Order: sequence, then structure tokens, then C-alpha cells
Amino acid sequence: MTKTMLVTGASKGIGQATVERFWAGANDIDTFVLLARSSTEFDELRAHLAANNPGGKRFFHHEIDLNDLDAIRDLLPQIIAEAGRVDYLVNNAGFTAPSPIHEVRFEDFERTINVNLYAPFVITQGLLHAGNRFEFILNVASTAGINGRSGWLTYSASKAAMIAMSQVMKEELSIYGTRVVTISPGRCATALRRTLAPDEDPSTIMQPEDVAGVIEMLASDFGRFVDSQNLVVRL
Amino acid sequence: MYTLALLNGGLGTRVAAGQPKQLIRVNHIPAMVYPLVAVDPLPEVTQIVLNYPEGWREEIEKLVKDYAISTPITYVPGGSSRHESVRLMLPHCENEHVIVHETARPLVSTADFAELIASEHENVSFMLEIPFTVAPVEPETRRVTGYLERDRLRNVQLPQKFRLSTLQAAHEYAREHDLQFTEDATLCAVAGAEVYFIPGNDRNFKVTTKTDVKLAGYLLGAEGTDD
Ligand SMILES: NC(=O)c1ccc[n+]([C@@H]2O[C@H](COP(=O)([O-])OP(=O)(O)OC[C@H]3O[C@@H](n4cnc5c(N)ncnc54)[C@H](OP(=O)(O)O)[C@@H]3O)[C@@H](O)[C@H]2O)c1
Repeated sequence: MTKTMLVTGASKGIGQATVERFWAGANDIDTFVLLARSSTEFDELRAHLAANNPGGKRFFHHEIDLNDLDAIRDLLPQIIAEAGRVDYLVNNAGFTAPSPIHEVRFEDFERTINVNLYAPFVITQGLLHAGNRFEFILNVASTAGINGRSGWLTYSASKAAMIAMSQVMKEELSIYGTRVVTISPGRCATALRRTLAPDEDPSTIMQPEDVAGVIEMLASDFGRFVDSQNLVVRL
Repeated sequence: MYTLALLNGGLGTRVAAGQPKQLIRVNHIPAMVYPLVAVDPLPEVTQIVLNYPEGWREEIEKLVKDYAISTPITYVPGGSSRHESVRLMLPHCENEHVIVHETARPLVSTADFAELIASEHENVSFMLEIPFTVAPVEPETRRVTGYLERDRLRNVQLPQKFRLSTLQAAHEYAREHDLQFTEDATLCAVAGAEVYFIPGNDRNFKVTTKTDVKLAGYLLGAEGTDD
């Protein structure tokens, strides 16, 4: 039977590279559900997928702000209605507004926790409540969730919480045979990284396609041999 | 098609004086959830009859909703004994065949239910060999009265399956003869039905003591699959 993959933050960076990789690759996923806010990058990705579709796959897309948890709750029944179910869930969308504690705006902290922690929770729990049985859930955390750095308070806190949440999901969802995987990328050349480290030359670090390759391996039959821990992915 | 009659005595002891009794949980997940999740994907099981301890119906319905169990469920209050609980569930079973299980065996798997359903016989129980020696005794005088050949004895497990009419007739027989049984395979056999066993698995043990709960949690958790 063919499978459905839902990717959050599909418009850019690691999410976009992941969608492109699974779209082009040989696998049993024929339906994609793509979530991000509206952007020219998102438009371009969809045009690219439509123009390069030898596998006859299909996608649904939703322009949604994952900071708006009620909007997510409203969207889930629609996703079930159009896609039937979600077999592979990639909780990838991430947000950061780095600043030292003295300058942290509380709204930014809330937004960070909403997008990086509550949104993946609401999506996963909502689909479980709808009777969805996942085969595979991949949660994108960060090395910033393992070690804090000056200026990254809100982001590091959200990612540390994501690592812990993901470990618990892994244990609890094992009763359904669901494989829950946590990855913690190190620095990777995306827009988010530019926000965290504006002076860095992106060509010298890991690329989003590299992380997408690791995600593909983790989702494959071989993935289960390396997925027992939060997996650090870095150059 | 089959109805699962799920015995759900499942209240643990009070945590402290004045505290209400709790549902038995294994790794914090209610024990009743495990067999429900295991049986839910099987197309042969089209109905679940679930009994609930007095006063717990609302809580149990909420759990069924939270864990998104999709097989239709009929709720029936528990009886004063296990024997009576089964008897009270029978009029609610809508299929020709019934599987009896208990929530105190959370380590049952989808494969166990499938194996039971696939058995060529109609009345079947999982049973285990007995790895130790048992002796017949007279408890009052503490006198040992003889010898039992353990090769010819089995430890009775659950799940079990029966033709509904056979199980009903057996409970009728028990009522007429004023008998109470602690499980239904031997009841049906004593009442004259052909009952068979298939070899069970020692993982699927009954969780009764606190130690059992810990052991089940260990086996169901990540530790149980470690080297
Ligand atoms: N790059 C790194 O060095 C690095 C390292 C470790 C972990 N990560 C993690 O990797 C994941 C992907 O990030 P990336 O590096 O690929 O960054 P990116 O290129 O900036 O992509 C982030 C994605 O998340 C989406 N997103 C952010 N806020 C959103 C919101 N409110 N609503 C909906 N979607 C939202 C973005 O979509 P829109 O903005 O278009 O809505 C975009 O598709 C994140 O979880 C990030 O924390 C990245």
C-alpha cells in the first residue's frame, strides 16, 4: 500500500530538501502533505514538484502559521479527509529569535515554544486522537538543545524540550509499532542558521540536502539500527 | 466474526488512605489500553464488550476515546466475581464467536489474538506447560495426598475463544449445578464441550502484584528489548 508523508516547514531549508528527496526517491510514499506559511519559496517548491513528477505522486499543501495552535487543530480533520492518514510525520518547522536574557521579548519566547514544541505536540496528539497510526515520526531537534550557548536561551530551551518529548513519544507509541526518531542537526546552511550565526560562510558547513539524506536513511528499513538515541547530524 | 469480551476488574490498591482506587497502569498507560490496541486492527473482531468497575464508566469511555479505539464498544458493568462478570457480558455479545481476555494481561499481542482466531477449533485457550512440580494436598492437615503428572497439566492463560452458544450453555450448566469457575475453558470442558489448547507464551502473564506491574513495564519498555 502507498504511504503519506506530512512535512512541517516544507517551504525552505531542511524541510524543502527532505520533500524533494522523498519526492524523487524510490519509496512507497505517493502522497505528501506540506505545511508552511505562504512564501515565494513555497510557491516555487510546488511548481518544481508539479513539473518534475515522473512517479505520478501527489501533494496537498496548506499555508498555515504554526504559531496558531487553534489553526492547527482546525486543519487536522481536513488533512485526514484529503490524505486518508499520515504514515510518516516529519516535525521539522522551526523558529528562532536569538537574544540574550536581558533582551528576550516574551512574545518571541512564546512563539519559539509554540512553533518548535507545541505545534509538533498538537499535530501528533490530534492525529492520534483521530485514530491515526503512524509508522514513523521524525522530530527535528538541534545540538542547541544539548548544549546552551549565549544568546540562544529560547531556542535551546525549546529544542531541549523537543528532545525530551520525543524520547517519551518513542516509548509510548511503541505499543502501535511506531518508530519515533529524534535528530539534532548541527549547523546547516539555511535561513534559520543565518539568523543564529549571521557572519558565517554558508558554503563551509553542512547543507540541507545532507540532512535530508540522513532523514531518508532513518526512514528506510536500515534506520531502526541507528535510531535508538537522539542522533546528532553534523559535519 | 468475533466479539472480544474484555474483563476489566482492573482497580489497583489505594495509594494512600483516603485516596480513591486507581486503574492499574503499566508504564503509566492504563493496562486496559494494551489489549484494546492489540485487538483493534483485527478485521475479524467487530465488537468489544468491555466491563467496567462500578463508578468508572465515564473514565473508561474517555480512555477509549483518547486512545482512539475504533472497534465499537458495548459497556457492561462488572459482576461480583469473575465468573459472574463473564456471564453478564454474554447477552451483549453480537457475534457467533467470543474471545475472552482480561485487562490484567497487557502483554498480549495482535499476533496472539490472530493465532487464536486462526485455530481450526472453536473452543480454544492459550495454555502453558508447568515448569515446576505441583502436589495435591489436604490444606487443613497439611498432608500430601499423592502425585500429579505435570505433563498432563497446563497453566490456563487468556485469551480464549468459544462459540457463543457453547459458552452460554456452560454458564447455564454452572448455574444449574451451583458451580463457580475462575476461568471459562475448564468450565466449558466440565460442561461437556470439546475444548482445545494452543501453547501460550510466558510473556503473556497475569499482572496482579506490584512486582508484576514493574516486570510488565520493563518488558513493554525500551529496557525489555535491550541486549
Ligand atoms: N539550520 C541549522 O543549523 C539547524 C540546526 C539544528 C536544527 N535545525 C532545525 O531544523 C529545522 C528546519 O530548519 P531549517 O534550518 O531548515 O530553517 P529554515 O530554512 O529557516 O526553515 C524553517 C522552516 O520552518 C518553517 N516555519 C518557521 N516558522 C513557522 C511558522 N510560524 N509557521 C509555519 N512554518 C514555520 C519555515 O516556513 P515559513 O517561514 O516559510 O513559514 C521553514 O519552512 C528547524 O526545526 C530547526 O530548528 C536547524
